[in-house]
Amino acid sequence: MSSDHSAHSHDTHASAPSWEGGSEPFKASYGKLMMWYFLLSDAFTFSAFLVAYGTLRFSMPTWPVPDFVFSTLPFGIHHQPLIFVTIMTFVLIMSSVTMVRAVQEGHRENKKGVVYWMFLTIIGGLMFLGCQAWEWTTLIKGESMSITKNPFGTHTENGVYLEGDGHDIKEGDRFEAGQSYLIHYHDGHYQPLKMKTDAGEIKVQQMGPKAFGALFFFITGFHGFHVFSGVVFLLIIMLNVASGIYSKRKNGYEMVEKIGLYWHFVDLVWVFVFLVFYLL
Amino acid sequence: MSANHHTHIETDIHIEKQGFDDHFHEHHEGDKFQTNFIFKYIFSMDHKMIARQFLITGMLWAIIGAAMSIIFRLQLGFPNESMAWLKPILGKWITINEAGIGSLDPEFYYGLVTMHGTIIVFFVLTAGLSGTFSNLLIPLQLGARDMASPFLNMLSYWFFFLSGAVLLYSLFLSTGPFSGGWTAYPPLSALPQASSGSGAGMTLWLVSLALFVVSVLLGGMNYITTVLNLRTKGMSLWRMPLTVWAFLVTAILALLSFPVLFSGFLLLIFDRSLGTSFYVSDIFINGMALDRIGGSPILYQHIFWFLGHPEVYIIILPAMGLVSEVLSVHARKPIFGYRAMVYSILAIAFLSFIVWAHHMFMSGVNPFISNFFVVFTLIIAVPSAVKVFNWISTLYGGNIRLNTPMLFCIGFVSMFISGGLTGIFLGNSAIDIQQHDTYFVVAHFHIVMGVAAFFGMFAGIYHWFPKMFGRFMNETLGKVHFWITMVGAYAVFGPMHFLGMAGVPRRYYRFDSFEAFQGFDDMNKFITVAAIITFFAQIMFVVNFFWSMYKGRKMTTQNPWGANTLEWTTPIEAGHGNWPGKIPSVQRWAYDYGKDGIEFTQQHVPLREGEEHSSH
Amino acid sequence: MGHLSYEEGKKVVFKGLIILGIVTLVEVFVALLGKGYIIDGFHLPVWLMYMLMISMSLYKAYFIVYEFMHMKYEVPGLVKSVLLPTLLLTWMLIAFFSEASTWRKWRAQVNDKPIAAFSAPAAETHHDTEHKDGSPSEVEGHAAPVDSMAALPDTTHAPVKDEPKPEKHH
Repeated sequence: MSSDHSAHSHDTHASAPSWEGGSEPFKASYGKLMMWYFLLSDAFTFSAFLVAYGTLRFSMPTWPVPDFVFSTLPFGIHHQPLIFVTIMTFVLIMSSVTMVRAVQEGHRENKKGVVYWMFLTIIGGLMFLGCQAWEWTTLIKGESMSITKNPFGTHTENGVYLEGDGHDIKEGDRFEAGQSYLIHYHDGHYQPLKMKTDAGEIKVQQMGPKAFGALFFFITGFHGFHVFSGVVFLLIIMLNVASGIYSKRKNGYEMVEKIGLYWHFVDLVWVFVFLVFYLL
Repeated sequence: MSANHHTHIETDIHIEKQGFDDHFHEHHEGDKFQTNFIFKYIFSMDHKMIARQFLITGMLWAIIGAAMSIIFRLQLGFPNESMAWLKPILGKWITINEAGIGSLDPEFYYGLVTMHGTIIVFFVLTAGLSGTFSNLLIPLQLGARDMASPFLNMLSYWFFFLSGAVLLYSLFLSTGPFSGGWTAYPPLSALPQASSGSGAGMTLWLVSLALFVVSVLLGGMNYITTVLNLRTKGMSLWRMPLTVWAFLVTAILALLSFPVLFSGFLLLIFDRSLGTSFYVSDIFINGMALDRIGGSPILYQHIFWFLGHPEVYIIILPAMGLVSEVLSVHARKPIFGYRAMVYSILAIAFLSFIVWAHHMFMSGVNPFISNFFVVFTLIIAVPSAVKVFNWISTLYGGNIRLNTPMLFCIGFVSMFISGGLTGIFLGNSAIDIQQHDTYFVVAHFHIVMGVAAFFGMFAGIYHWFPKMFGRFMNETLGKVHFWITMVGAYAVFGPMHFLGMAGVPRRYYRFDSFEAFQGFDDMNKFITVAAIITFFAQIMFVVNFFWSMYKGRKMTTQNPWGANTLEWTTPIEAGHGNWPGKIPSVQRWAYDYGKDGIEFTQQHVPLREGEEHSSH
Repeated sequence: MGHLSYEEGKKVVFKGLIILGIVTLVEVFVALLGKGYIIDGFHLPVWLMYMLMISMSLYKAYFIVYEFMHMKYEVPGLVKSVLLPTLLLTWMLIAFFSEASTWRKWRAQVNDKPIAAFSAPAAETHHDTEHKDGSPSEVEGHAAPVDSMAALPDTTHAPVKDEPKPEKHH
């Protein structure tokens, strides 16, 4: 982003790559290296979040079962575990693929091709953000989960419900240890149900660990923020490509390559977010 | 001064002959970025100017941070004396009773302690030390025109400046600055209602530190890529001076550890402002249970120290690098065990990432996992000892010039040994039960990473001042500065070991209500007096610094110390791009002192006839 | 650094799309199969499921980094300088997670203690603490330490005690 200001001219550094000085030992310009090392440090940021997630999860006696939590699709479809997030994942993979194509066209200095594929990438990014917005809305509005309240609890014993919530749970339904439930939210209150364990104890549903909701919104939000800023940068660089300024510069399409690295990194992070939040 | 074997002209001839032309000055139409005051001195993109900006900002912060320590030392040494005279500076934080006795507000005392730590650790010893010398020396010693990205380099400084401005502002809040310790442990940092500084003060603290992380990352990426890509011809990694090695590894540490801190801070910000419970659980305020369940304050401590431990090496490694270089130059001997020095830097860097929980033995960490942390921690003694022995061996038999930079180097080694030894005590989880959070810890880390890092910094400043400002600092004042600081630092922190072993806890406001600590009043007085004297020696240094900038003895030769590294081949008044013509190419390693009976041979000088490369 | 011809590169891209797609589908399939959604009453052992899913995700990560981010075609030094530092996270994972399970065990120990162990006027056991907005307390069992602390004589705990118990008026 600062190559105009660089006080260096690399033409003399173009000799064979070696560690003897006067050349680029990694055969990569400083800009590309900086992007790599920025991504490395960003990877540590995300790792810290995911480690914090794991730590809080392991410190809890129970944790909501993801395929119970993430089982809603648009158009009123319920109980289809993980389908929606799989679609989201595909959207992101697709946009990664279009980005690779954009970079390849960049190597050929094919301006039109770069713009075309970058445009598709941006569409993919926006679609992903749209999906995420829908998912958040469902969780917040539909299921009343927030960063401080988590109505997704988990049974620790087997037993039977003593009342129904008017939706999925009916009086007399059995439940097993390890199953998750959603405490119904109605009239401004959570409405936990009474239940009887097989040991004969009368209990009510308990709220799930707070950290679940908070971490979910926080980490997917932070990832979403990366996607968003990626879209913004893609847009800027696409416009730059279209305006032709990179064609004039020596090795100008490297900018496309750098933003490509960033975009793949966002996809990479999603692989792990997908793993720990939705699969495990 | 030793005889200069190479005059200006000889240096220039070598550069002209062996150097290579990158056509820099043809592309850059002179110094278009330095044409006016704003771009020359303020938004400068010249690494040498940015280094000076870092240095002077760091010095400013050092004065503020040290002055704070003097105020709380006064409280500790003389708790019954009136502090009414500080009213004009501290305002409402001094309460004056009917008898006219002014006393320091306890809340503000904690604020001072917290700010002292934050300022010295981050602003002075991270930005002021590594920021200054990485910027100054990486391009100069590697034979580069500037940093890889001068623009990001400029941003790095300005993020640092902004971060400082925010923290400075927090000092003037009516609720006071953050006062929960520089480590900002929850719940004091997580609940705005926990103490008066936990509100706006803590918010600004977090904003400031987040900006600081950005600054460090921008700088770090720049340093790493510069070292990788912009070394001049012939400057292989094993020919780099140890300074550059140290800066490289420091930058790597920063790049990997600061993001983790950043994550921890973001979670903390959520806890503070959005009511999440990442770090808090089972909290009662005034007997009322808060609706905060399920988090763990120890999680924050783990995340914090995952940064925090590498951070202490981010502080000390640049000092080690500077000392290795200065020591070798002024002992007129090659550094002993060059490769061992590099490997021990790398070993220390690696170990720094796996020992963090030794800061938390008493926090309720599982004692089983503590054992691993003890073992890893004690292993650090090995590379550290390697370095110490190498420094001492470098001195042995050297033709030592006992000038100020050299004195500070020797002081550094002394401090590093004394502080390092107490680290071995503290690294044992069993002994730590007695010592944790006492003045023993305070003494340990002040000596080993506070004073030692400052000594490294002083050595660097006295040594490279001519490079930065074209003049020398006053040598007599420098020596006085050294001796007062050396004796003063031991006088301040030596007795603290005894306080700590007696169990005197750190961070307390006063001790008169503790029967057991009554006997230490005189010791506390002594420490305070020593601290004040040492503080004034530093003021003397600052005066010397600014006076010498304008009135110091002028530098008349390019290479006044007879050093080998490339920064001494640039003109005395080096412009943007460092070398007026070609860039020198490197023919040998950086430590050819006394080789073949020749006092020193600079790196750009080709092998003499029949000469072989020094094996190292 | 294109080390592949343009046509080869294009092939790799579509191969990548298919590989990532299939692996993701298999992951989801394993998750659903393992938890008994696909064949009634059939579960995979948790460790097996987790191992499968983690290794597939690592494979995806490998593929993205090596093919899409072109790591495969970079100089080995660059690859090492970017990838080796991530190994530092191993010990971080071990230490943090071991800590987490310690906290869980210790909390459970505290919860299992009879309330009387905490102090004298053994308050009746609230099984759940209701908070102001009517939400029941957190994780089961986790409510206990709050209560037991509330039972300490010196803490006034009006909000905890005076709230009606959630025995169901809603």
